[in-house]
Amino acid sequence: MTSRLIDESLFDGESGRGDGERPGAGDPPRLVGARCSACGTVVFPRQDSCPRCADGAMSVRVLPASGRVWSWTLQAFPPKPPYRTPPGGHRAYHVGYVDLGEVLVEARLAVPRAEIRIGLPVRLTTVTAYQDEDGTEVLTFAFAPDRDGGR
Amino acid sequence: MRRTDDVYVVGCGMHPFGRDESVTGMDMAERAVRGALADAGVAWEDVGYASGGSDVSGKPDTLVGRLGLTGVPFVNVQNGCATGASTVLTVANALRAGEASIGLAVGFDKHERGAFHVSASRYGLGDWYAETGMMLTTQFFALKTRRYLYEHGISERALAMVAVRAFRNGSNHPLAWRRKPLTEQEVLDSAEVSPPLTQYMFCSPGQGAAALVLALGDRAFDLCERPVRLASLALRTRRFGSFEVFSPWLPPGPHRSPSVDAAEAVFRTAGLRPADVQVAQLQDTDSGSELIHLAETGLCGHGEQEELLACGDTDPAGRIPVNTDGGCLAGGEPVGASGLRQFHEVVRQLQGRAPGVQVPGAPRVGFTHVYGAPGISACSVLTV
Repeated sequence: MTSRLIDESLFDGESGRGDGERPGAGDPPRLVGARCSACGTVVFPRQDSCPRCADGAMSVRVLPASGRVWSWTLQAFPPKPPYRTPPGGHRAYHVGYVDLGEVLVEARLAVPRAEIRIGLPVRLTTVTAYQDEDGTEVLTFAFAPDRDGGR
Repeated sequence: MRRTDDVYVVGCGMHPFGRDESVTGMDMAERAVRGALADAGVAWEDVGYASGGSDVSGKPDTLVGRLGLTGVPFVNVQNGCATGASTVLTVANALRAGEASIGLAVGFDKHERGAFHVSASRYGLGDWYAETGMMLTTQFFALKTRRYLYEHGISERALAMVAVRAFRNGSNHPLAWRRKPLTEQEVLDSAEVSPPLTQYMFCSPGQGAAALVLALGDRAFDLCERPVRLASLALRTRRFGSFEVFSPWLPPGPHRSPSVDAAEAVFRTAGLRPADVQVAQLQDTDSGSELIHLAETGLCGHGEQEELLACGDTDPAGRIPVNTDGGCLAGGEPVGASGLRQFHEVVRQLQGRAPGVQVPGAPRVGFTHVYGAPGISACSVLTV
């Protein structure tokens, strides 16, 4: 089955597209934001100016792949369009902010209700957001429990 | 301060909030304006400056076609949840600048049912954000509330207590929409929308209109037996680090809200402290927001809310009566009208003629607070 990323500009084009030999091949593509050279503020998605100071230049920043749940909730009812319903129809899903250290990123959380809590270690993954008309699976970023991240 | 420079509310009018398919937004606005004019004992021809706001229900200045083509300057405002406060600010500043001695502020809206429709591009975001189901105000309120409860050790029961008080106050208010009292258990057991928030912890988009007549200095005392002084009014937008709706990312913190800035500014200008407030209106789009706003405006400390609620301190007869008309939870949130509803309730309380339950002991200091997307807040202090 073919698939594509929902928006290439959110992801690092170099990661997750291994040919099977490079380390990290098969891992989900990393998220990419931008960092201000003057104040160090990290934003996501990338943007060309700093929201905090007028002095810096913004450069591409590949974000950490693991962090901890900072807050979470559930989307119980199906959102109105432009939300795209996934194949098989709407099923309640978790969303939250994940603390990546230098920035908190809002994301779908592929975490079961029994496990979800503030502070839970999570790791970047992808989930199917919806299907294109030709059947192509459209993937978006998400975070799932990090079994090795308990520390 | 000389009385001649002060701006006073001398009349207020309101169309009941709720759902009524027989009237349009403009119909309700016209009725609210006529109510406010009658309350002040003035004619539309006496109004020298006007401002109106509506989010989705038409251009407010076209109301002159119904009220009378007097040539009055009429400024339209569209400022999200701060629309009502912005119309008051616009009129008050015009009166102080000498444009007129009597002004009118009006707000109205009639929304369709369910969550607000949103457009990612209008907020400068990519389509992916809405398509993947993250662009919902209900999620934002839940995420902010979840984190706040965690950081300040507040239980989910406190969220139910806010809703119970709102519906109890609404049940006693002739202009409120939701007039059925609910128990804590009924609120907690209602449909899960976005935990920790349940269905009855959220307000609904509804319809309604409210209007104020404002007058300058001595003129106010000629018109009105008990004019209510607009001691201060401040509007603020977010600064770096505030936790706002539709944010794909946040900085690690601290997260400071524009509500803090707006509240500090109005108390400073009025020369009063939050402890002086005897009747308050706080933006309560959901139970969590009211909890957070109680502390952000300085009415209590962070983490003190649960005890305050449990003791009945925010009830009409309590130490800091909050949302005595049931707020947005019982009234719904017609965006353009909601802020002026707050003024309407506080003015009537300070005049000792509340439409619902009157705060006892002749309160002299009132406070209003609104907060909304994309990081905007307006507060006012009203005194008699």
